[in-house]
Amino acid sequence: MKKVTYIILLCFSAFAYGQGNCLLYPEGSNERKACELAYKGKELKQGSKASQMMFDSIIKLNPNYAWAYMEKSVPYFKRGFILEGLQLLDKAVELEPRFHLTYRAYWYFQNRNYKRCIEDLERYYKLPNAFIYELSPGGDKDMRILLGMAYAKLGDYEKGIQTIENCLKSYQREDDFGLTDYHTLGMLYVKNKQYEKALKAFENQLKITEDYPDSYYYAGLAYKGLQKQEEAKIQFEKAKDKFLDSYHIRNGYLCFKVYYADVIKEIEALSDKS
Amino acid sequence: MNKKLTYIYLATLLLLAFGCNTQKESEKEIIPVYSEHIGDTPFDPKLDDVNFKFCDTTNVLHHRGRISYTGGTPAMEKELIEIYKKQPEFESFTGYFFVRFAVNCKNESGRFRWQIVDEDFKETTCIASLKKEIITNVKNLEYWNHPIYKGESHDGYTFLIIKIKNGNILPS
Repeated sequence: MKKVTYIILLCFSAFAYGQGNCLLYPEGSNERKACELAYKGKELKQGSKASQMMFDSIIKLNPNYAWAYMEKSVPYFKRGFILEGLQLLDKAVELEPRFHLTYRAYWYFQNRNYKRCIEDLERYYKLPNAFIYELSPGGDKDMRILLGMAYAKLGDYEKGIQTIENCLKSYQREDDFGLTDYHTLGMLYVKNKQYEKALKAFENQLKITEDYPDSYYYAGLAYKGLQKQEEAKIQFEKAKDKFLDSYHIRNGYLCFKVYYADVIKEIEALSDKS
Repeated sequence: MNKKLTYIYLATLLLLAFGCNTQKESEKEIIPVYSEHIGDTPFDPKLDDVNFKFCDTTNVLHHRGRISYTGGTPAMEKELIEIYKKQPEFESFTGYFFVRFAVNCKNESGRFRWQIVDEDFKETTCIASLKKEIITNVKNLEYWNHPIYKGESHDGYTFLIIKIKNGNILPS
């Protein structure tokens, strides 16, 4: 059921982030022409001169077309032009906060501005017509998980945990959980020294996927926090093996990431003690 | 009298013409100038090292994720923090440096450009010595790995975000 919900949400999200339905505008109107041009221009390479000029033509036809500002901002963000990217995305947010606030929050997060990310997401969830299950641009996680991580990145683990717990409680079924939701929760429990709860979260995470070396690493830290050195070592070894396994997942939760060197350091530290 | 009227007539015409012209100037559309691809950075003798060359200027990738640093982001950040020589006057700065640059197929870096923003991502400035320290240190990072796409070596563009709080570089 969760998968079906996600597919529906993804479709809706595609509509929300998409150009919109051109037939909603009167025939012959500039809004309609701008919308149709947006569909025609979809094949142009993102960030190319032709693509950017196409967005200019669209915006000239319909200066209130929020989607065009948002879409034009993307290559700027992807290529490190923060000022140009934000100038465009701010305009999209001004025109349609409901559809673009979370996208701006996502870029704030990616660019390590957690304060502004939190501001945007708190503003978004206070909107009377906010979508409850608003997903990240890649469609892989609920934006409330991102909000929880942003609180944590600013050192407020309690608030981060509470946000993610509330998000997970709102899911209707077990298969509503995203690929790294439990991992993220467990990771924040470890950061907050709630080790037993962390282990329970990782137990749930492993039912979803066993391919994140990071989950074993954090489980190892939880055991270490509980003074269970042997169990900790087992988990760190599992993390090491998973890193060396050609099939493992390396992205998906955006912060407090684990690297191979971190795992080796923990294994060596435990070996020195024994 | 006729002569006087002619002068008034001519003056009125001139005023009208000037007025119309001014209006046209103000209404003139500003046409943005785009490079072939956003982020293309041509050689600037005032900023760039003449020795930095692309292996293939016709196909420089704009895909940040394909460029890596040996040892990963932690190694790169560790190096940046270790070589950073903080001065007391740096402490007044809190904000971010967005530093864009290219890595060629020989793993050399060049064509550095940057934007400095405050905590709210608004454009800002900082003292020249801090800017010099940060940019020089980024230029001195040596262990970049060029993009490999479909089994072939390429040149590529990437960027770093350096977050600074009270003059200290914060790791990600």
